Amino acid sequence: MDEKFDCIIVGAGVAGLAAAMELARSDMKFLLIEKGEFAGSKNVSGGVLWGHDLDRLVPEYWKEEDGGWERFINHRRLTFMDGESAFSVDFKSSHFNEPPYSGVVVLRSKFDRWLAGKVEEAIADSAHPMDSFIATNIKVDEVLMEGGRATGIRTGEEEFHADSVIIAEGVNNLLTRQVGLQDDYVPADHMLTGIKEVIRFEQSVLEDRFQLNGRSGMSNEFLGYATNGVEGGGFLYTNRETVSVGLVLGLKDLREKEQKPYDILNHFKSHPAVADMLRGGEVVEYSAHVVSSGDKRVMPRKLYTGGLLVCGEAANLLLNAGKAIQGMDFAMRSGILAAETIVKAKEKDDYGEQAMSAYRSALDDSYVMKDINSFQDAVHMLHAPEMFSDVPNLVCDFGRSFFTIDNSPTRKSRKMMADAVREHSSWWDLFKLGIRGAKSL
Amino acid sequence: MKLLKLTEQLGLVSYRNQSKSEIKPHIEVDTSICNSVCPHKCTTYVCPANCYTMDEEGQVHFQVEDCIECGTCMYACDQGAVSWNYPDPEIGRGVTWNYG
Repeated sequence: MDEKFDCIIVGAGVAGLAAAMELARSDMKFLLIEKGEFAGSKNVSGGVLWGHDLDRLVPEYWKEEDGGWERFINHRRLTFMDGESAFSVDFKSSHFNEPPYSGVVVLRSKFDRWLAGKVEEAIADSAHPMDSFIATNIKVDEVLMEGGRATGIRTGEEEFHADSVIIAEGVNNLLTRQVGLQDDYVPADHMLTGIKEVIRFEQSVLEDRFQLNGRSGMSNEFLGYATNGVEGGGFLYTNRETVSVGLVLGLKDLREKEQKPYDILNHFKSHPAVADMLRGGEVVEYSAHVVSSGDKRVMPRKLYTGGLLVCGEAANLLLNAGKAIQGMDFAMRSGILAAETIVKAKEKDDYGEQAMSAYRSALDDSYVMKDINSFQDAVHMLHAPEMFSDVPNLVCDFGRSFFTIDNSPTRKSRKMMADAVREHSSWWDLFKLGIRGAKSL
Repeated sequence: MKLLKLTEQLGLVSYRNQSKSEIKPHIEVDTSICNSVCPHKCTTYVCPANCYTMDEEGQVHFQVEDCIECGTCMYACDQGAVSWNYPDPEIGRGVTWNYG
């Protein structure tokens, strides 16, 4: 192929597909390259896609009977657990029943493939239906650089050329490292391993057990016993006929505590409250993937250079500040912003580093970097040891005394709390934690 | 519910091109580093697919066949023993998720 593209996108995940959609709508000639046999075939996520950007990408996506998403979320639950107990903060509201939904559960192998179909439709409707492509089963070996500027990619013996390259290769960002935007070795300090099972139920069992109605769904995060003392937390999300159950585990802590992720997953599944939720289910898939923590220290030192932009998790755009684990929404928005930068660059025929820096400014002005910046303290706090041991234990201890009725004189709850605090922490430590929490959230 | 053993969990994973004869491991591990200087040999327990094993003599061995391309070993190994890459779709084997 001699023809030069306006842009080559590496990776057909959420970020790459969002970028492709914007480029197709702007009548750009582009090539989207995916190493898997179809978009999404190599991708794993928890996974809830938050926010309204999906509606922007695929307007009124919810009207499609068999769209790529599983369920919308109208029920959120945060559970603190010790060995015997589970103490939940639970919020369900019909306020979240109306589209555009504030969160949808997705399974990537299905969702990304569906989204790729929408991009194909946009390509067909564009001014270059025969010149833009989604190409699968191709592994990009190298980003071609000339005089500090990306000029295309190489795969095996073959080269493809373009005015610009968008790297949306995911968290294991080998190309981002190769072009020098991140060090060759990224230490484990702010990385986590996600591990997950997809468990199938009869749909009526699933709907009854989780109080689902139509396409409504639940997201549940877990702190404490779930991770067996390792930094991180657990999750359970309802899909249409399955649930996604898993953990994210701090990689450095896993190494130091000499634990096996699959053993911790079984430990989590054995908890009485979780076992009750999973009873009768059949595991249909086991998966794992690295995920970044949302700590800014792990981000590439730059997200652009001449003719090149990095977006999605390749840029380590992810955030877990305790309210929700966000990443796919960041990927979607960053892909959109990257594409917009390329469209403007083409208008001015300037793909230089200065022109590309507009992407970083746009990202800084968006909710993505604003949230990552404002919730750094929360990220650090969530990864503090007391958050996955002392605090959940304390909450559950208090819960046990508060909800126990044994026909002897009942102590005031303030006394129960004092006992629970003495057992697992101190008022002073809690005071400090409270101040940190109030500041960080 | 029944808890699965890792071998049963990995039995649910779909791989492609398993039987190709020219298969080359996409991840290369210099186990001589694991077996000389490494103080923790952490890959033998952090890998979610147990691709790294330790024999009775405490020697680390690596086999790529069950790899699910998660990236854990690339970050966990701080001794420079792991050269990480994705499998080449043409020749290697690779994971294809049914759910993801």
